[in-house]
Amino acid sequence: MRISYNWLQRYINVNDSVENLAQKLTSVGLEVESVDYLGKKFEGFVVAEVIDVQKHPNADRLRMCKVNVGSKDGPLQIVCGAPNVEIGQKVIVGLIGAIVPHNQHDPTGKPFTLIKATIRGVDSFGMICSAKELGISEDSSGIKVLDPNAKVGTALADYLGVNDVAFELGITPNRPDCLCHIGVARDVAAIYKKKYSFPQYKLTENKKTSITKIATVKIENVIDCPRYTARVIQNVTVKESPDWLKQLLMTAGLRPINNIVDATNFVMLEYGQPLHAFDYENLAKHTIVVKNASAGEQFTTLDGKTHQLKGTELMICDGKKPVAIAGVMGGLNSEISENTKTVLLEAAYFSPTSVRKTAKRLGINSDASYRFERGIDPNITAEASARAASLIAEITGGEVVQGIIDLYPKKIVPKKITLKRSRVNSILGSDISSKEIKNILSSLEIKSAPRKEKNSFVCVVPTSRPDIEQEIDLIEEVARIYGYDNIENKTSSEVMFSKPDKDEVRINSIRQWCVANGLNEVLTNSLIDRSTAKMFSENLVTVKNPLSVDLEILRPSLLATMLQTIAYNYNHGATRLHVFEIGREFSISTEKGTYLKGYIEKNVLGICLSGDANQLSWSEKQRNLDLFDIKGLILSLLKSIGLDNSDFIYYNAPSSLTEMTIGVEINNTYVGFIGRCKPELAKSFKIEKEVFYAELNLDQIVKFDTVKKFKEFSKYPTVIRDVAFVVSKTISVGEIEKVIRSVGGEEITSVTLFDLFEGKSLGEGNKSVAYSISINSAEKTLTDGKIESIIKSIVNAVVTKFNANLRSI
Amino acid sequence: MLEKKISDLQAEVEKLLPTISSMDDLEKFRIEFLSRSGKLASLYEELKTVPNDQKPLFGQKINGVKKTLEAQFEMIRSAINATATKQKNEIDISLPGRMRPKGTHHPITQTMEEMKEIFVSMGFGIEYGPEIEDDYHNFEALNFAPNHPARDMQDTFFIKDDVVLRTHTTPVQIRVMKSRPLPVRVIMPGRVYRNEAVSARANYFFHQVDGLYVDKHVSFADLKGTLVTFAKNFYGSDIKYRFRPSYFPFTEPSLEMDITCFLCKGKGCRICKQSGWLEVLGAGMVHPNVLRNCGHDPEKVSGYAFGMGADRISILRYGIDDIRIFFDNDIRFLNQF
Repeated sequence: MRISYNWLQRYINVNDSVENLAQKLTSVGLEVESVDYLGKKFEGFVVAEVIDVQKHPNADRLRMCKVNVGSKDGPLQIVCGAPNVEIGQKVIVGLIGAIVPHNQHDPTGKPFTLIKATIRGVDSFGMICSAKELGISEDSSGIKVLDPNAKVGTALADYLGVNDVAFELGITPNRPDCLCHIGVARDVAAIYKKKYSFPQYKLTENKKTSITKIATVKIENVIDCPRYTARVIQNVTVKESPDWLKQLLMTAGLRPINNIVDATNFVMLEYGQPLHAFDYENLAKHTIVVKNASAGEQFTTLDGKTHQLKGTELMICDGKKPVAIAGVMGGLNSEISENTKTVLLEAAYFSPTSVRKTAKRLGINSDASYRFERGIDPNITAEASARAASLIAEITGGEVVQGIIDLYPKKIVPKKITLKRSRVNSILGSDISSKEIKNILSSLEIKSAPRKEKNSFVCVVPTSRPDIEQEIDLIEEVARIYGYDNIENKTSSEVMFSKPDKDEVRINSIRQWCVANGLNEVLTNSLIDRSTAKMFSENLVTVKNPLSVDLEILRPSLLATMLQTIAYNYNHGATRLHVFEIGREFSISTEKGTYLKGYIEKNVLGICLSGDANQLSWSEKQRNLDLFDIKGLILSLLKSIGLDNSDFIYYNAPSSLTEMTIGVEINNTYVGFIGRCKPELAKSFKIEKEVFYAELNLDQIVKFDTVKKFKEFSKYPTVIRDVAFVVSKTISVGEIEKVIRSVGGEEITSVTLFDLFEGKSLGEGNKSVAYSISINSAEKTLTDGKIESIIKSIVNAVVTKFNANLRSI
Repeated sequence: MLEKKISDLQAEVEKLLPTISSMDDLEKFRIEFLSRSGKLASLYEELKTVPNDQKPLFGQKINGVKKTLEAQFEMIRSAINATATKQKNEIDISLPGRMRPKGTHHPITQTMEEMKEIFVSMGFGIEYGPEIEDDYHNFEALNFAPNHPARDMQDTFFIKDDVVLRTHTTPVQIRVMKSRPLPVRVIMPGRVYRNEAVSARANYFFHQVDGLYVDKHVSFADLKGTLVTFAKNFYGSDIKYRFRPSYFPFTEPSLEMDITCFLCKGKGCRICKQSGWLEVLGAGMVHPNVLRNCGHDPEKVSGYAFGMGADRISILRYGIDDIRIFFDNDIRFLNQF
């Protein structure tokens, strides 16, 4: 909402600087988003009189002029090249230092600053300007000659009437009363403890004709149209509006159209009451009927667009047809034209809900609908209508027909709300006196009368404030005007102990661990396209109104969006991508759902490793990543958060996304998987390199208990023995380890695979595995004999069970 | 005679000493002068031939020469030793250390973690909620009347007519107030969605941290104090701030908090749109309708709520021009944090 400072002064004498006013408006909730000083570009330009014109001694086309700029220092000498300069003219002079908005001699017209110049040997102290140079019209044929009555020395901005300041206010949806100048004046009055006044105007009615004789109005839907008024103005001449009116409208951000439309817009920006002017002659039977549209009906609005109506829309109709969508936009068929002679002026109150529904459905957002849907004052209607009629008569030369048709079957009365001082102060944490509360409310035109109960009032809220519905809204009004800054910043309160719950702590430590171990955290989009999503799941959650088809589906897997990230980085020259994300995966379900029935939201850790295994280094060989990089990463991660007994299980069932997939279980609960992305999948993201992926379900991970207990370790020495076997490649090292542990019994404290190779010397299909076995007893030092017998039984068991050959002990 | 021999020896030694640079040279020197058959020993031999009355004098002189010689010998020996050790241990210390790869937090999580930390230290717990939310929690219970223009403030993605992608983390307030006994004091971080065209300044999803405190006697003054404490911890104790009345359907009275622009220090710049102020959060007292919707009596309990956007704040903190760079996840970007 743009508010003109000059316009505002019509209702209240602010008498404060623009900066202070802006700051105060902001402090009561009318946020000043920007201040536009409209006169600024004309600074340094004044009205002057040409008092002498002489030929330039050294140039035929130039003249030496003397101009009176109203300065005590006397006239200025200015060299001028314009053909039309003459003694006695009132002209516009740019003084030294002024910035000329448009340079006529520069092809780009770039502004320039005036300096004292010597032109062919003659000094020149300024410039007599053309209209084009000032950017006020396209005329560049000569200097701009002003009205002979123009006063010498007047600042150009004042002369042009543009010495105004426009405030861009961010008006919140609860303050429709401030969508007009009087409304803002009301808050300004409350801020400065001053009075504001309504505009003074005189409405002269033509007593010869009564409106009831020449027009009729009928409301069929009083729910959506509680009030409708009409006035008629005859013998109007439609033409351009006077300058003052055009100027104020432009300052407020509206384009002038013609005097009638401009007058209705002016009154809307004055009182907040949208008005509509119909060409009376185009209204069949000179009748207005307010009723719902017929379903399937078509209607063309002022902007030339045709709308298909459903029947729920409230329409303004004449004796035959609809002529406007109530409170939204007028129709092309009854628009004011140059030939309009008689105007029917509508001022009405339409229900906010009805206007909003219609405007939203039809996709129209007009100045009128904007105000109606937020709620205008239903009791300002007749006043605004009279004001507009008087203004139209004044600027069109028309005559206002006597009387007003005002259908208002059920008057909307001011609300009465009880307010207690104790409530004000307990909510605000303040100590505001009853008297001050009363004064603040009264400055906002909220009358308050004491109730029997002490320090308690009945407040009567003007109908211009539909947002004030209950006590808390009055408390806000008190706080707003009292000043948020005047309420204490209380920093002591009852102590409340809290600690982040263990889920939060665990997820944080997972994130910290990932970062500490060289992974970059990413945050990827949660919406993707359907065909990508389908590669990951069938149970997709679809957005009904997506921004684009690329952003239609909530990601079913972090892998989907992480692969997009991998592809992006490869395209931008990366060679080593070790990344993780903690985020949500979404799917539909026939079951209960995580929060909402039918929707699963899973918190997941995703890790992608791709490209170089390690960073290029002088001391370490470059190598390719393999599955055991990511397997090791996940195991270490689980250990780091205190989960020790994780058990890896190979998956037999091939996954559609990954190969070599390993499922991860903790205490027999499935918590995630590890694998290599199938090359087809990677390729569909245009990734040529291998991508290893692991995913852990954090909702499960956080559930495991990780209470740590001290376990006594042995006081006796540990013996370490190495054994190596040749076995078939088909036998897994895990199986062998299991056998070693079970045969060795509790004296085996660790079994570590330290060598693994294949070679021709071992025979086709064989491999060599070497284990380092730690043997120790909690009770005694083991004798050599005992150790030998343990090793022997291990060797025997492995040899027998796996058909292995002992390579060395 | 002997006197001359002594001074000759001294002169010879003086000349030789600076030329000794290795253990071999030193050994030769030792044999020549200090060994049993060396030149010093021969001086002692000669001493025997000197008249008895002069013996003490020459004896002292030769002893003096011997002492000096031995001391010089030791000095040179340790110098040669030190050089040898040094050469043996010499390494190129400019060789790079064996680096651990650097991991990074995403700048937005970093911002959110810092916010959480401050609020947790002020006695707030942490709660999460669904990103797929129903109309009731996202709007209705939060006092957004159907067909109210306030709904336009939050362009919404719909899954079904009454199921949306949450437009703010505020609906978690409803879930917390309904499921927990009072008092509640929690923050609610998470991802939210708005159906807005993507641009340098706006993305269709972003991250919020909401806060809620409901108890007996919670006041606007408590809210202000909490926010100022947070802002001073998060933005720095020297910041200036202001509170402006504002509007949110779920709070009344409502406020927005601005802090002095940390780029221009309040002078006015591109980032703060010449105003010198940056809006950093919205807040207010929980609206009585919201309390009632959650089964609480607004005459008996009160509360405050606040919310802030982590993406916007991250943009300002790190001097980023285009919000989209957060979600490109370019490794060159991530490695800067």
